[in-house]
Amino acid sequence: MGYLDKEKTDELNKIKRDRKIGNLGSPKNPFDYYEREYGTVPRDTKRAPFQWVSEVAYKNVHRIVTRGYDTTELMEEGYGVIEVLFVDYQARIPTVEEGQMLNYVMILALEDGLSAPAAISRIVARSKTFLTQACGASIMAFGHAYGAYSAFGNRLDGYLDRVDKGEFSREAAAELLVKENLHDEALGVSSLMLKDPAAKRMVARAEKLGVAGKYIAFTKEIVKAAQDLSTEPVDLDMLGATGAVMMDLGFTPEATWAILAVTRSFAAGAHYIEEVEREESNRLGQQLTPKEDYDGPADRPVPPLADREKFAKSAICRTPEEWKARFEEMKKVRGSGFSIVEEIEDPSKKSGIKKVGKL
Amino acid sequence: MDRKPPFRRKTAISYKTEEKTVMRGYDLSELAEAGYSFYDAMFVLFQNRIPTENEEKMLKYEMGVFLEHSMSPSAVGSIGVSAGRPNLPVCVAAAVSTFGGVHGPGAAHGYMLNKYLERGKKEGKTVAEMAKILVDEYMDAKRPVMGMGQPQHIDSDPRAEPIHLKQEELELEGVYLEFQRAIEKYFHAQRKRQGRSYVGVNVVGSGNTALMEIGFSPNAGWCIGSVVRGFSCAAHALFNMKKGRAWGASRNEPMVQMIDLSMIKYIGPEDRVVPKQEEQQEYARKQKEEGEYKQWVI
Repeated sequence: MGYLDKEKTDELNKIKRDRKIGNLGSPKNPFDYYEREYGTVPRDTKRAPFQWVSEVAYKNVHRIVTRGYDTTELMEEGYGVIEVLFVDYQARIPTVEEGQMLNYVMILALEDGLSAPAAISRIVARSKTFLTQACGASIMAFGHAYGAYSAFGNRLDGYLDRVDKGEFSREAAAELLVKENLHDEALGVSSLMLKDPAAKRMVARAEKLGVAGKYIAFTKEIVKAAQDLSTEPVDLDMLGATGAVMMDLGFTPEATWAILAVTRSFAAGAHYIEEVEREESNRLGQQLTPKEDYDGPADRPVPPLADREKFAKSAICRTPEEWKARFEEMKKVRGSGFSIVEEIEDPSKKSGIKKVGKL
Repeated sequence: MDRKPPFRRKTAISYKTEEKTVMRGYDLSELAEAGYSFYDAMFVLFQNRIPTENEEKMLKYEMGVFLEHSMSPSAVGSIGVSAGRPNLPVCVAAAVSTFGGVHGPGAAHGYMLNKYLERGKKEGKTVAEMAKILVDEYMDAKRPVMGMGQPQHIDSDPRAEPIHLKQEELELEGVYLEFQRAIEKYFHAQRKRQGRSYVGVNVVGSGNTALMEIGFSPNAGWCIGSVVRGFSCAAHALFNMKKGRAWGASRNEPMVQMIDLSMIKYIGPEDRVVPKQEEQQEYARKQKEEGEYKQWVI
């Protein structure tokens, strides 16, 4: 299409200027609104045309290639998902032991009972959706508390970087990390696996296969430091074991996060199927919320619209003191968002919310 | 720490206690310790059984070959979502959710095969006869035959025939492969008779046939196929997040970006004046009477 020609542009703008459109002609605007162009920006011929740029993979009519390897050839040579994950994320073929270790990790990561990913998958399933919607939703359950592999891994990297720079020893780094993050969900040490040996067995397997490295060693120091500092019994949990093993296998925290969230999504698919098989669909408006679960304002009459001014309460605060007072007041309104503070950063390079919590 | 599940369900899939996580009766940690593969675990999850060695090999091939497909709706979806720099799982969720009625419609293909096999059994027809009926009915109704054709791999998907061959090599030929092969044979013959170009089998046609043959239901097969793609789509999103520009619209890049303004081609109604509120009722009535707007309704 391109831009509208000048004659039509001027004509249209004149009509609008004469009619006036709200505040758009205000002199406070840093532009003359009635001089603006219409139509789309012409094709940019000075720069190279758009293409999908990828380091990961390409395909043509006859082949699909990831990191230089034809994927069909990879399969014909006997490789599978485990090896392609190393190829996709690390551009390399793993050793046999590394492959065995990732296989082990993925079996453990596959299923976790009715925790968040399965629960979300089942809730979506009840709306009568495609299975893929439910599987997608299950992946979104992975955050910086549940399945917090990026937060865990990036934290490890942060402290280990400081060790590498000679700031302190690994042991001291572990002690500091625990001191600064003892109650964080992404610590990798908690009371969750005191009776379940799976996490420790995973680390033992990594050591047996000869794939354990600095991350497992550091995580062990963290466990020790946490046990010294904590007032309750704690030990290595699945997040800590899995995260440390994956990083010793060479996966970045983000790759770990993605691989394990997707792994769980297979089981979320089974939960979708079972939910559809065993339960009924939900209709809009079907489900009730019992009043006994409600602790908001008591039932009250809706004021007549004509009395709006009498009942309305403005949110405008003219001074910082008024603003602060209102802010504190609003914390009492559950669901308003005033009790939560987050630092939402660009997760391009390292993902993890530094501090999230309730005020 | 509250360890109650978000809600209660009777489930035959798994349970989790403080001591262990058990899937279909098997302690997951024991399964891994015993040396079973992730592919084996898929059979336990969806079929409640340990597979034969060749079935495991077939699934390994199938999942591996399907994992990466460069720029398909799934990778593009993932990259598109990553432009806003949300958390990575959101990009992956979008990628998996792109699988629907056209992109990788594994379940649809599976249901089609099952429907016609069931009908053939009731009507006393052979698999070959049912394949002919299926192709004729789909073509007569101008519906695409599931499992045939791919817009990028126009000579036949590079993964498709090798999957069939692997299935044969592993001696896993059953009723599904026989049926699929018969569909392909009759489909090719029909198109040739009609003077139409060659359209090869796609990865759903061959891959889903193999998945069904080794015992997966249409939805279980679809889950395996679409979710395994999530692995590579996460890599595509991650590449863009770590090495690309957010938004995908920067004018400072040497290449025109994905959503540069010049990439927009508009073919809707011409620019027009917004009616004043006092003109609204008459303007709207006239617009409805004239009905020109109807051509734009979607």
